[in-house]
Amino acid sequence: MSMIDAPREIIMGMPRARAVSLTRWAIILAAAAALEIYGRFFADPAFIRPVSAIVGAWFNPVMSDERIFWALSMAVFEIAVAYALSIVFGAAIGISIGVSNFARASFLPIVLLLYAIPQVTLMPLFILIFGLGAAGKIAFGFTHGIFPIIVNVVAGMRDINPLHRSAIASMGGARADLLRHVIAPNMAPAFFTGLRLSMTLTMLGVILAELYVSTGGIGYFTRLYAENFNPAPLFALIGTLALIAVLFNSLVRVAERRLTPGARAPAKLGLSGAKSK
Amino acid sequence: MSEAATAIGAGATAAGLAPAISIRGVTQRFGAVGAAQGVLALDDISLDIAPGEFVCLLGPSGCGKSTLLNIIGGLFKPTSGEVTVAGKRVDGAPRPDEIAFVFQESTLFPWYTIIENFRIALKFQGVPKSERDDLAMDALKAVGMGGFARHYPTQLSVGMRQRVNMARGICVRTNILLMDEPFAALDEQSRMVLGEDLSTLLAKTGKTIVFVTHSLAEAVFLSDRIVVMTARPGRVKTIVNVNERHPRAPDFMLEPRFGEMRNELFALLRDEIRRAMALQRDADGGGA
Repeated sequence: MSMIDAPREIIMGMPRARAVSLTRWAIILAAAAALEIYGRFFADPAFIRPVSAIVGAWFNPVMSDERIFWALSMAVFEIAVAYALSIVFGAAIGISIGVSNFARASFLPIVLLLYAIPQVTLMPLFILIFGLGAAGKIAFGFTHGIFPIIVNVVAGMRDINPLHRSAIASMGGARADLLRHVIAPNMAPAFFTGLRLSMTLTMLGVILAELYVSTGGIGYFTRLYAENFNPAPLFALIGTLALIAVLFNSLVRVAERRLTPGARAPAKLGLSGAKSK
Repeated sequence: MSEAATAIGAGATAAGLAPAISIRGVTQRFGAVGAAQGVLALDDISLDIAPGEFVCLLGPSGCGKSTLLNIIGGLFKPTSGEVTVAGKRVDGAPRPDEIAFVFQESTLFPWYTIIENFRIALKFQGVPKSERDDLAMDALKAVGMGGFARHYPTQLSVGMRQRVNMARGICVRTNILLMDEPFAALDEQSRMVLGEDLSTLLAKTGKTIVFVTHSLAEAVFLSDRIVVMTARPGRVKTIVNVNERHPRAPDFMLEPRFGEMRNELFALLRDEIRRAMALQRDADGGGA
């Protein structure tokens, strides 16, 4: 029967899930070790430093320099605001477009066209309009983040089982009931897919804008270290950004797992091994 | 319709009683009159269904069986003609107090547990919150699914899901149950077992049922009357009576008259099926 979990596999003398996580850590450690050896004995220190030096640089200067810490906090703030705006406006626009066939046919092609534009080409325009401060970065993150949400909300509203529609109607449900009991829960998985894609793109937008124009943000520091051939703090800074990205993504994943109604566990990319819900 | 007066439903004496469902001259046309894509789906259907009667609508694909069912249920308004349920005209508006639908098993909302699916139906029915769970559990136990109330539909097999879905339709206390090919997604064996269960359950409730199916055996096994419809445009070709008391046991299927009735139905339908297929072919050819 479909409800019964797949039998637990044993790999390398342990449950599959543990073998998977062990392998994962082994790959990371092996890569770090290779980088350490290469950085220590072979590389030009102007370009590559060993992992130990990067970790050292993370404590000092990245974490100890107040200006860098402030720049990182600023980036997190910009991402958070851009993301929040993307979600609110993306969902609102997506629902307005998805609510009728007419609106979808009229507006969606335009949205897809805008989505396809490589926005980096428009960056100077953003700087001109929003200035050099946080507003420009937020705006650029927002225009990146909003599209996947719109597109996925529209897609989620579209794929409705006509029987569910008939069921609500025949049971005497009103339009609001259709929205609450069918359209919204049906849309949830697509919406969360949109949220995850949007998270990645919002960060991309903000960081791109940071790198392009920054008078004291993380973009300024990455350029400072790169142009002074000081790769240890540069890598430490980039690593921190990556960590922030992972953190944001985990947040969305937790929300997704918690809030997706029903036994429709979202795609897990194999991250939790053989555990099935 | 003189047949209506002679048909005896399970537990109901039709003679002298007002019909539970009265269909008068129902015609349904999709698209404009004379338009290239316009289709006459139902042509002047009239039929009376007695309280407690089990009526099957049988016909080739595309003959408008489901359309007729949806019109009876008020899911949409016919082009002309009228349907009266319990003395009140159904005018393209659902009557959840009188009529419940059972569709295919995929109608259960996959994002709700089984019990939550029941709660919604009962809530729309106006059943007070405190009574909903009891009613739902009774209905689930009646179909042997009491242990699965907190499961999600996708965690059940197709047969189990349809059992639950049927129970949901029956537990809302309407007098009329409209079933639109409820067993279509099931394999032959599950169909037979579920059909038997349905017969047992319904014999207790005394509901009036209109059941749409493709299956000849299902029609004979379940119905008091079988309305055989023509290929498009759907008309009532003939009505076959099945005189057998409910609940029906599988033994009924082994009786010679069961096979005879099925063969008779097939003979009636064969030409219609060929016509329906030819229509389909023409439509496909015209579109290519």
